[in-house]
Amino acid sequence: MIKLRIDNREVRAEKGMSILQCAASAGIEIPAMCTNPDLDHFTSCMICVVKEGSGKNLLPACSTRVWEGMDIVTNDREVMDARKIALELLLSEHAGDCEAPCRLACPAFMDIPAMNRLIAEGNLPEAMKVVSEHIALPAVLGRICHAPCENACKRKVIDQAVSICLLKRYAADMCERIPKRTSKVLSKRTAIIGSGPAGLSAAFYLLRHDIGADLFDMNREAGGMLRYGTSNEELDMSVLDREIEIIESMGAVFNQGREIDKSGLEKICRDYDAVVLACGKSSNGLAGTGNIPDNIYIAGNPDRPSRHAVRSVAQGREAAIKISGSGNPQDERKRFNSVLGRLGEEECAEYLKEGSNDNRQVPAGGTASGFNREEAEKEAARCLHCDCRKAGGCMLRDYSDSYSAVKKRFLYTGRKSVKKVIQHGVAVYEPGKCIKCGICVRLTAKYGAEPGFTFIGKGFDVEIGVPFSGSLRDALGGIAAKVTDACPTGALSGIKNDTV
Amino acid sequence: MKEVIENIVREKGRAKEALIPILQAIQNEFNYLPEEAMKYLCAITDIRAADISGVAGFYSQFRFTPAGKHRVKVCTGTACHVKGAEHVYDSFKRNLKIAPGKDTDESRTYTIEKVSCLGCCTLAPVVQVDETTYGHVASSDAKSVIDDFHSKGKKLPARDSSINGRYRYQGEIRIGLGSCCIASGSDDVRKAVEDVVIKNKLNVNLKHVGCIGMCHQVPLVEIIPENGVPHTYAKLLPEDAARVIEKHFSPPNLLTRFARSFENFIRGIQDDSSWEGVERYSVDVREKQVQAFLGDQVPIATEHRGILDPVDIDEYISLGGFEGLKKALEMKPADVIEEILKSGLKGRGGAGFPTGEKWHAVYDQESDEKFLICNGDEGDPGAFMDRMLLESYPYRIIEGMLIAAHATGATRGFFYIRAEYPLAVVRIREALDRCREKGIPGSKFSFDISVKEGAGAFVCGEESALIASMEGERGFPRIRPPYPAESGLWGKPTLINNTETFAQVPYILYHGQRSFSSIGSAGSKGSKVFALAGKINRGGLIEVPMGISIRQIVEDIGGGVQGGKKLKAVQVGGPSGGCVPHFLADKEVDFESLGEAGAMMGSGGLVVLDETDCMVDIARYFLSFTQHESCGKCTFCRAGTRRMLDIMEMLTQGRASEKQLEELQELGHWISRGSLCGLGKTAPNPVLSTLRYFREEYLAHINGRCPAGKCDALIRYSVGDECIGCTICAQECPDDAIEFRPHRKHEIDQELCSKCDICREACPEGAISIS
Repeated sequence: MIKLRIDNREVRAEKGMSILQCAASAGIEIPAMCTNPDLDHFTSCMICVVKEGSGKNLLPACSTRVWEGMDIVTNDREVMDARKIALELLLSEHAGDCEAPCRLACPAFMDIPAMNRLIAEGNLPEAMKVVSEHIALPAVLGRICHAPCENACKRKVIDQAVSICLLKRYAADMCERIPKRTSKVLSKRTAIIGSGPAGLSAAFYLLRHDIGADLFDMNREAGGMLRYGTSNEELDMSVLDREIEIIESMGAVFNQGREIDKSGLEKICRDYDAVVLACGKSSNGLAGTGNIPDNIYIAGNPDRPSRHAVRSVAQGREAAIKISGSGNPQDERKRFNSVLGRLGEEECAEYLKEGSNDNRQVPAGGTASGFNREEAEKEAARCLHCDCRKAGGCMLRDYSDSYSAVKKRFLYTGRKSVKKVIQHGVAVYEPGKCIKCGICVRLTAKYGAEPGFTFIGKGFDVEIGVPFSGSLRDALGGIAAKVTDACPTGALSGIKNDTV
Repeated sequence: MKEVIENIVREKGRAKEALIPILQAIQNEFNYLPEEAMKYLCAITDIRAADISGVAGFYSQFRFTPAGKHRVKVCTGTACHVKGAEHVYDSFKRNLKIAPGKDTDESRTYTIEKVSCLGCCTLAPVVQVDETTYGHVASSDAKSVIDDFHSKGKKLPARDSSINGRYRYQGEIRIGLGSCCIASGSDDVRKAVEDVVIKNKLNVNLKHVGCIGMCHQVPLVEIIPENGVPHTYAKLLPEDAARVIEKHFSPPNLLTRFARSFENFIRGIQDDSSWEGVERYSVDVREKQVQAFLGDQVPIATEHRGILDPVDIDEYISLGGFEGLKKALEMKPADVIEEILKSGLKGRGGAGFPTGEKWHAVYDQESDEKFLICNGDEGDPGAFMDRMLLESYPYRIIEGMLIAAHATGATRGFFYIRAEYPLAVVRIREALDRCREKGIPGSKFSFDISVKEGAGAFVCGEESALIASMEGERGFPRIRPPYPAESGLWGKPTLINNTETFAQVPYILYHGQRSFSSIGSAGSKGSKVFALAGKINRGGLIEVPMGISIRQIVEDIGGGVQGGKKLKAVQVGGPSGGCVPHFLADKEVDFESLGEAGAMMGSGGLVVLDETDCMVDIARYFLSFTQHESCGKCTFCRAGTRRMLDIMEMLTQGRASEKQLEELQELGHWISRGSLCGLGKTAPNPVLSTLRYFREEYLAHINGRCPAGKCDALIRYSVGDECIGCTICAQECPDDAIEFRPHRKHEIDQELCSKCDICREACPEGAISIS
């Protein structure tokens, strides 16, 4: 038994244990990316560094064995700085987006690439599910959205952007949406002032969280600016009616023709658990300048009310998520994001490996009629899969997020370029996302997958590759899933057969 | 092809540890590694494709495309760098019509490569075409060097081996045959001397000696007449060897004498072999400062230098060789270790770990097998001590290893020698053979040593990477502990010492630890071998007592800065070391005070820099070396050194900001602290030490100025009023940036100028200046 101290705690360890193992057994978490329970240590990523005693050297916790009397610090300013630098250095050689640019451009942060892929597969119900996660009025927005997503689409620099807005409309129009009425006893009651896009969206997401939603609006009919600020040519009001109906059948109570003044609001505040001010500029007048009661949530910024419906829809959702207490809706947007930026000419070809070569589809019956199935599936297949396949499970992203790493800090010169190696049914390999930890090299060697992976070259230009230009299928043998799962970043990820 | 590979495998073995020798053999055969060959190798051995591919790609020696018929190696070691090697490289590339991004011309006649050091620093800049070395090559000389190479090839007459006739013994002729002597043509001198001796039937003892260290005067020939004063001749040309020898030794036979002088007369008329441009060596320069050069030196590792024939084992023995071993064998291992501990010997590889402690750690291990490795993988640009020791004193190193084997209980020994040192490999192999034939004098002690050749990876000087390389893996360092003493080669206890360390061991045993520890400074005992080069009058290999000051080395031994210029700094320790500024020139040279000054002993390169050297450029140069040699395993070194280099490149182009200067310092700090191995930990030193002492030069670069006029992007060439309109510059300019205007002042088109420096070198009036 060896006695040592970690973060001023006395810890006992077996001889031969690494600092990382020892800390883990004491419940102290040290970040690490290049380790794998199946393998010996390798000491590559260096984000596991800790400080020992008075010695000024940083020790990699994954591979340094404990010794008697060690005094380890895992979390002071210096250690944090060192890890942050290591992450930023890794990011300086990283080429790839975490989230697709279209999604980042979308005020509602809808997972557009996921929707596109599901539409292309013909799986409308799942596509609609993806849409509903972030957008309450997809059929309406599918007609009037100013579509900043399409402006950000990488395909735009190759030929034309993917027709995202029409695809969303296709999903919303074609998919039968059966509103789910909340059966449970409502946990809270909320009043929403204003039944425009923000109010409707707030109601939709509150009800999804089993929170009651009573809407108060001065107009005779619900819809706010969607109804009273939009022409019939722009938006067929029956589409709006249908989506309002859905929200109503989920359990929303509409109190139309009720103008709420200051004293009315005070009363509502007392009667309801929470109040959402979703009446644009008027929210300001109502909230007043004094202390706003804790239970009032203002959808969006009343000083600069949105003229874009999609933004209002996003703001309504944010208020609802806040009230539901299920996290800060800004978190997912504020998460660390590696942003690739403009594509080089050769990179366009790499991205085109993931999308069909077809031209942008135009609905046969004119834009007003929307896509038919064939058109929609063709159009959706044009999507380039810019989003990372491991956006949700990438250690580099997670740690960059928790250490507030800055992607471009050390990017003084041009970034590395994107390459994609795709083997359908096996894996996708993106060298630009590789951190050279060699887990794949060591796993394929250990499990006898021949020829396996190897390091090609050395130094800054080192890459992981298959010996003698072999294919991924050869390299991974029968353990593709094991290896792609073990890859700590999006460099290696699994891919289903014959889909993109 | 299959048969060739089968034969190679039969000779080298089928296991992974044989992989590097096998690949070396395949490349020797085909001049590159054909993919077919590697696939077949995989098929007929137990070596995995991933290993073959990974190892082949790691070591720079291996290439995957066919090389040209001739190899042009442009040395970019430190000494050559400060004398304009980059321009020379560009010029050769241009003249050989090698396309950008390629290393071989279309007809596959020439392959050009940069090499980190040819070890001829005193002849800088140096270019090697196949076996022929050219010194003092200016970028405008590229064409004449290539022409000269083509015209070469005439062979000297076959030698008559009956040198020792029946005449009176007339004396001895010693010819230096260290690498840089040979590089400067001493082999031709040797042939010429032998030729003269045979033709004149002289009865002299012709002796080949190792490096004398006076590399600034090579080729060196020393003549010791039986009755008379010894003479040393420096920079001797083969064609003049005869005249020199005849001055000292008359042919015993009058007729021969007469015939000889007639022949010489005729030859003098016909001979037109020298050409202008590249400076060949003037003849009959009597070295007057030999005493000054050698006076302050303490030869321990280089004992008997200039006397010893490298591979003559009897001579080594007659001069006290293997006496240290004899003494050691009479002692208990623990007492030998105690003796080394007391001597204060520290590892000469750079880090300065006490040798005795290292030995003790291996001694302490219980194991049926223990290994011992002599680390001769010296790769610093501008350092060639290990090579000189291996080439010139093979027995001394072997003796040191045998003493260590006895002390630690090692069962098998290895030399790991850098691939670029073919002569060292030959000499060591030969010396080992002689030892095997002769047996270790006076003992039953049995221990075998074999030779492993590196394959071109600087990081393999790091002991854990060296072990990986010997095991047939990529040269990735591993975390320490466990140290090799505990778990080294094939997991067995292993002692790894630097070549120079082993070379100092016999002295300690033979003369006693006291005579060693009485030399040196308080914390660093004994002597240290340095390669002195750069802007210095007398460069070469020197062995000085620890604690000597930099000033003493530069002024007394080195004869001061070249051209009477002012000393600016001395770069100590190569890419791991730092720059000691002129105002610290009285600093002692030992492990401790160099560390305090932000430098490091490193393996012992000393490059003298004068006022015309740009410190930012020097730092960028060293960093680009380590960045290039990084193995790529750990983040700090792989990406960190690259990002530091980005900033250094921006600085030399005048594009960096003060904020980036801070980033540079911060990155350096974290790379030093966070890197896995010594290469990464010391890589920032050249930058950090110059930032510390020459910050104002960095700031000048931020403001778009290179005070020394070295950084291409920040300087411009212009023609002054001295121009006489001779048009030479216009003819020489490879960019057509100078209009041909006879008898009128010329002008340089700044848009077209690539700053290759050719015009300035070519101008006979010195009219072209840099601003």
